[in-house]
Amino acid sequence: MEPIVVVTTFFAASIRMAIPLALAGLGESISEKSGLLNIGVEAIMLCGAFFSFMVVFSTGSFFLGILAGMLGGLSMSMLHAFLSIRFKANQTIVGLAQNFLALGLTSFLFLMSFGQTTTLPSTRVLGDLPIPLLSSIPFIGQVLFSQNLFVYLTLGCMVLAHICFYKTDFGVALHAVGEHPIAADTAGLQVHTIRYIAALFNGILGGLGGAYLTIVKLGFFQENITAGKGYIALVAVILGKRTPFGILGAALVIGGAEALQIRLQTAGTGIPSQLFAMFPYLMTIAALLLTIGSANDPAALGIPYDRDKR
Amino acid sequence: MKRRDDEWVSLLVVTGATLLVAFGLIALVGSNLMVAASSFLRGIFGSSYAMSEVLVRATPLMLAALGVSIGFKTGFTNLGAEGQLYMGAIAITATALVFPGLPPIVMIPLVILVGFAAGGAWALIPGFLKARFSISEVIMTIMLNYVAINLVGILVRTSLKDPAYPYPMSPILPESANFMQMLPPTRIHAGLVMALLMVIAVHLLVFRSRLGFEMRAVGLNGRACLCSGIQVNRATILSAIAGGGLAGLAGVSEIAGLHHRLIEGISPGFGYVAIIVALLGKNHPVGIVFASIGIAALQIGSMAMQRTAGVPTSIASIVMGALILFLVIRDSRQSIAILEGV
Repeated sequence: MEPIVVVTTFFAASIRMAIPLALAGLGESISEKSGLLNIGVEAIMLCGAFFSFMVVFSTGSFFLGILAGMLGGLSMSMLHAFLSIRFKANQTIVGLAQNFLALGLTSFLFLMSFGQTTTLPSTRVLGDLPIPLLSSIPFIGQVLFSQNLFVYLTLGCMVLAHICFYKTDFGVALHAVGEHPIAADTAGLQVHTIRYIAALFNGILGGLGGAYLTIVKLGFFQENITAGKGYIALVAVILGKRTPFGILGAALVIGGAEALQIRLQTAGTGIPSQLFAMFPYLMTIAALLLTIGSANDPAALGIPYDRDKR
Repeated sequence: MKRRDDEWVSLLVVTGATLLVAFGLIALVGSNLMVAASSFLRGIFGSSYAMSEVLVRATPLMLAALGVSIGFKTGFTNLGAEGQLYMGAIAITATALVFPGLPPIVMIPLVILVGFAAGGAWALIPGFLKARFSISEVIMTIMLNYVAINLVGILVRTSLKDPAYPYPMSPILPESANFMQMLPPTRIHAGLVMALLMVIAVHLLVFRSRLGFEMRAVGLNGRACLCSGIQVNRATILSAIAGGGLAGLAGVSEIAGLHHRLIEGISPGFGYVAIIVALLGKNHPVGIVFASIGIAALQIGSMAMQRTAGVPTSIASIVMGALILFLVIRDSRQSIAILEGV
């Protein structure tokens, strides 16, 4: 292959790897901004991946599949929000328990539906959708505008979230309830309602991120298909400092590491593939080290809001 | 007295709700409830061998959960027991293969020490980064799990590979590195004794030593400790090392007691289940003994249920997750009730 082709396919692959991390990371950042720390992103993505696959498998409709993915993600994020807000539960423990719950539930339902099979049941995947004119631009057209619907959707979400965070009243409210819920409450903001809305976005976006894995990237579902992507999305949130474009950038870096390791694994170097499989995780650790001294967590992150307490 | 009654009632409600979830799932698969329940119970209590298998499985869970609980004491959320377990397993394998000639009296203490050290060192990384730079240990420990698992994959294909076989596994370890089989023909081994000794050791450390007091204080209110001269960072780092070390011992115990060689996948998620065990045992050493046996029984029973009644074993994860969520609700209701009562 010519070098330029290699570079183009590598960048295009990096973007495709980054999409689920970027979507789930954006959702989580909205949740964290409001003060809800949900480490159950893995659960959200897993449910999104499973339910979207099941619906596409049985109906053949991508529209319904995407919808089901969102609902699957929502079920997890809203449960987390409900327990965190109504019962003031420890948010980390709830997220952790949900990861167990979702891992068990999706495997259980999957086995129940298909039994122990040697060949994984599969569906067709959402095809690429090159944008006319733009896709014929050299390089950029190949990398950016010959992708599938989810890539454009993600980029759109990032722009919308940026506008929402920094140019709208809702963005201000989101910051306020996450930084100083008492002040926000005094100023007349509905702290709990805003946190529920944030969880709503978290579920939808994380569910989409999970759906991407099954109905766009792979076309099949298997036990624990997310394999830690939910946790990596949490890293993207920290690394991107909870700004939409920061998260996109972080997701691209980690996605790039993923794309690189797959290329190296298939290159047939004789080196155990585990060395390359380790690479994205090492990259993530290195990235976390870069955030030393620049933490900007919302002040009320993970702390339940109680009106009667000071 | 009243509060005591409430506690029992709420525990009954939690148990009932969890059972309801399990029964619902069994009904969903279309299995006969009685057949499923009896195969579950027979899988646990059906024979003395079945019961011994529960203890065999409880051993690594107990060790790893003790480790997780020490971390929780100082507020170090250690989700990395899985990786620390694998580091312990690597350590015992490498040590026993490098010094095959050592007599058991030297070998056993040596592999226990290096296993503890390897797990502790693996946990020191997130512990230090949390204490010194306040980097989230939650994510760091998870990432290190994947690194450790892949490291095992590399080692069993390269430097620790058995040259006699084409499979990714290490040679059989010298017999001097084997834990004693306690009750043959069951697979119960001396790892269980080690785990129970560690329960006592952790109890003494956490509740009877100055360091343990400091750890608990740091977990309750780090800022107040800082102001009263307790070295918060030191307590955090030491709890991370001790916790990682105990999880490392779980790896040692699995290799020395069961597998006798390093292979991939020696832990079917013990390190993660250990977190559930620690939570169920309320981070108390004695509670962890019961919780680890209970969870091991749940897993062993659900395997039997899959064989005879066709209910997927993942029902065990669902039940564990649901149980924790119900308990979380119960605990918060109680604290609310107590606040309102004042």
